[in-house]
Amino acid sequence: MSTPVDRAPAAHLHRGARDTVAVIVAYVPFGLTVGAAMANSGVSPLVAWASSPLLFGGAGQLISVQLLGAGAGSAVTVLAALVVNARFLLYSAALAPHVADWPRRARWLGAHLLADPVYALAAARFSDPAAAGRPRDRMAYYAGAGVTLWCAWMLLTGLGMLLAGVLPAGFRLELAAPLTFLLLLLPMLRGRAALVAAAAGGLAAAAAAGLPLGLNVLVGAAVGVAAGTLAGGRHG
Amino acid sequence: MGEPLLVLVVIALGTYAMRAAFLVTARARPPAALARMLPNVGPAVLAAITLPALLAPRGHITPTDTVPALVAAAVAALVWRRTRSLPLALFAGLGLSLLARAVLP
Repeated sequence: MSTPVDRAPAAHLHRGARDTVAVIVAYVPFGLTVGAAMANSGVSPLVAWASSPLLFGGAGQLISVQLLGAGAGSAVTVLAALVVNARFLLYSAALAPHVADWPRRARWLGAHLLADPVYALAAARFSDPAAAGRPRDRMAYYAGAGVTLWCAWMLLTGLGMLLAGVLPAGFRLELAAPLTFLLLLLPMLRGRAALVAAAAGGLAAAAAAGLPLGLNVLVGAAVGVAAGTLAGGRHG
Repeated sequence: MGEPLLVLVVIALGTYAMRAAFLVTARARPPAALARMLPNVGPAVLAAITLPALLAPRGHITPTDTVPALVAAAVAALVWRRTRSLPLALFAGLGLSLLARAVLP
């Protein structure tokens, strides 16, 4: 039997994978819906599915494939998808202090896995000093979560494309994605600053819902971060 | 086939650059002002994605869309608080929203 020190990274890897399985179960409806929408987009199936390994993020994939299918210009499509994916820049900044002590190569590789649930799971775990562990433990947890979700996402979106013609017409699961994101958000709501950030960010994004390209998410992010920081500075 | 794939590759490069930007230049101790802001990114962004989609699941706020969505969200949150199980909470919420949609005119 190995020592606890030797076992630790493997245990963190398993923990990351296990936490992600719960997200994957929740992601089944969302992944199938994204796959089915891509299959119906008019873009050739293999190219549409290639967005899964290339972009690894449902919202960005949906907007790019649907715009391509609708015959939108390349520049418009690229711009729209990058605006939708701009939240990854924020995730990157928010996660950076927790990965600063990783080897550079791990950070280059890990960047591709930085999807919403991976960020949410890692941020919730790494911000808890008791759970975060040493750099290798954090790397193991992140790899366990990221690789598991990456593999599952390839399968789920592929399955959604295959089932696109079979799913009943009344199969409407537009609530699956927001409910999943709500459940990723809840574990982050520790303390007053986080609550204020979420409330202000959500309300601002809802008020700005008329903006094109999902820009309201970025408005909500800016307002939420500012409000949470003010609240935390005064009371935290 | 060529051009759509090329567009996707360009998007992928841009997306990767945004994901990598701060991860690969990370410093263990960001400036204090930034360090206070960063923990708020997750709650702000996830709420900014979630709330508009719950209020207007199909793009418009209507009683038949909005009410079941908010009830489903409340039930999902409640089940999560009780069980800490993400799948259980999700399917409780989804199930309730389908039920509400069947009952509402």
